[in-house]
Amino acid sequence: MLPYLAVFAGGLLGTGLRLAVDSALPHADDGFPGSTLIVNLVGTFVLGWLAGGLWTRPSTPTWLKAGVGSGVIGSFTTLSAVMGSIAILDRGGETPLAFLYLAVSLVGGLALAAAGLKLGSALAHRPMPTEITDDGATL
Amino acid sequence: MSTGVIAAVLVAGAVGAVIRYALSRRYPVRPGHLPGGILIVNVVGSGVAGAVIALAERAALGADVRLILLTGFCGGLTTFSTWCVETIELFDGGRWRAAVLNILVTVVVGLGAATTAYLLLR
Repeated sequence: MLPYLAVFAGGLLGTGLRLAVDSALPHADDGFPGSTLIVNLVGTFVLGWLAGGLWTRPSTPTWLKAGVGSGVIGSFTTLSAVMGSIAILDRGGETPLAFLYLAVSLVGGLALAAAGLKLGSALAHRPMPTEITDDGATL
Repeated sequence: MSTGVIAAVLVAGAVGAVIRYALSRRYPVRPGHLPGGILIVNVVGSGVAGAVIALAERAALGADVRLILLTGFCGGLTTFSTWCVETIELFDGGRWRAAVLNILVTVVVGLGAATTAYLLLR
């Protein structure tokens, strides 16, 4: 039960942070969604760092991983906004911009996830995790 | 943006997060399988987002409801960070086929769900 409560509380915080960034960096529906890109890249790097570092420490409680990983960072980052924006851009005749946005999100996200995992595990002096655990560690 | 709307957006996001967590526990990552729970929420959330955007465009949904469903629920339900980090973990674990498939299936089916819902309902 505790992990679920932690995910709910973390979800409030993560959604609030994303809403704040959206409000600070507004963009038109058919414009380049810079705020979503920033949120996703920052969140992915931080999650990679945690997954490589704090998450691999045996004493880290499940509720903390669930609350911060699945809750805060999981809600902070979003895929639906990426897909929604691409649908709008494509429909509005901005197909090249849509593909550029998808490519930058994808390449940037994967590179920052790898960098975060590497840095997190190096600083923690533990091997990089290659198993996806069931306890919501990377979620 | 009223305080009530902001509160509703946050709660909708938190509910989405709990559904995502529950599904990722229900469909954990197994050898030979993709991270199914995250795939499901990302595809479903993208489809719902496409539908909400379309309905709001023709004023079938108000701006507040759009924000609550889109930024709140869909944003909380779907996740970008977990998808990327788990894909890298699959790569590092030598499961490069699963990693590539995890990228392709999410992008193709997620984008397909969002654009189909958007085009059908607008």
